[in-house]
Amino acid sequence: VDVSASGPQRGAPDPAGAGQPGGDLAGLLGLVARGDPAAFRDVYDRAAGQVLGVARRVVRDPAQSEEVMQEVLLEVWRTAARFDPAAGSAAAWIMTLAHRRAVDRVRSEHSAAQRELRAATVPVDYDDVTEAVETSLEHERVRRCLGSLTDLQREAVTLAYYQGYTYREVAGLLGVAVGTVKTRMRDGLIRLRDCLGVG
Amino acid sequence: MRGRGGGDLHTLVGAYAMDAVTQADRARFEQHLAGCDPCRAEVRGLREATARLAAAAQVRPRPELREQTMLAASLIRQLPPEGDAETPAGVRWRARRRVVLSWAAGGLAVGLAAAAIAAGVAMSGAEHRLDMAQRRTHAIAAVLGAPDATMLTAKVTTGGSATVVMSHRDRALVFTAAGLPALAPGQSYELWLMVPGGAVSEGMLPAAKGGMRGPLVISGLAPGDRVGLTVEPAGGAARPTTPEILVLSP
Repeated sequence: VDVSASGPQRGAPDPAGAGQPGGDLAGLLGLVARGDPAAFRDVYDRAAGQVLGVARRVVRDPAQSEEVMQEVLLEVWRTAARFDPAAGSAAAWIMTLAHRRAVDRVRSEHSAAQRELRAATVPVDYDDVTEAVETSLEHERVRRCLGSLTDLQREAVTLAYYQGYTYREVAGLLGVAVGTVKTRMRDGLIRLRDCLGVG
Repeated sequence: MRGRGGGDLHTLVGAYAMDAVTQADRARFEQHLAGCDPCRAEVRGLREATARLAAAAQVRPRPELREQTMLAASLIRQLPPEGDAETPAGVRWRARRRVVLSWAAGGLAVGLAAAAIAAGVAMSGAEHRLDMAQRRTHAIAAVLGAPDATMLTAKVTTGGSATVVMSHRDRALVFTAAGLPALAPGQSYELWLMVPGGAVSEGMLPAAKGGMRGPLVISGLAPGDRVGLTVEPAGGAARPTTPEILVLSP
């Protein structure tokens, strides 16, 4: 899917919010690194919905999620020159920034007790559609691939990624040994990667 | 990987790729990664998978966030490429000039700062000759151009949002607000520095230009100080008389 547009020129921008990672996002980042506001607008249109989606899952609070989204996009603007295509796709770079920022936010905001309460009241559901999620092919594909994981792999991956828990917290929540959770997270992600045909 | 000194540590790769680790775990694992090419390759692959998890969670942001983010970006200086030792001056010059142009385009009167920044005028020495307006634009320019400038944005409870660009090095910040509701005649927004034992007025927010108010500079920040915004009589109050509609902890 990650077909790069030819040359440094910007390709025709996708419709706002189109869920197409990769593509010429890397090329756009190159232009953003040189201060091109139009390219940054295009990056926003491609990435903001996904960044906000991750923030909503992890942080939950809508207002704080929007702040995280804006901070991440501004971090992309500020550090675009540091994006290294050899270290992964542009989408992975942005989403790694986004997820880390969201997790940092939730870990600084929530006391352990609050987080446990949250865990107790939030069902483990990797498909909890809380608002107008873009029902995209991507969404379907990921859902299907998550379905191919074992229950424990899937729970470990979704609790960590979508709810921002550490592997130790996940082990506690699931009542499983820490070592088991670590291997299930790794095996689950490997299976997901292979199912999605990425990496 | 086993046999490379990683041992059990490497099983952390999945948790690491999902940020499901503590700071200490992260530091330890990154040390392990530094000496292990295949491990880095594995992280790369797993992160492509987690990026798809993100894509599947996509939601539609409120439309007004887009222009707010563009505006905030125009205030932020970009980093040059890492190890770009040959051209930093040029890059910086272009970056600063763009910041200035964007401020001007936003209807913000920092023409003086434009000249000062573009020319790279030193802050010390010449400063005592500057009048207050010039001092203000210099202070704004210094914060926006600081190497450690970071940005923070937050909602104002009564509507609109505030954006702060802050330099810890300079112990100063630049405050702007966008989309604040218009107030009744005789009322103004007042900005406060909230220090232990009270609040110090930092002045009234100027009238909106293109939906934006500011910038105002606050200097002499100490750790723990917060920034507050209240609605006060147009002439200003000596201390806040209404509840804060925004509190920022920079």
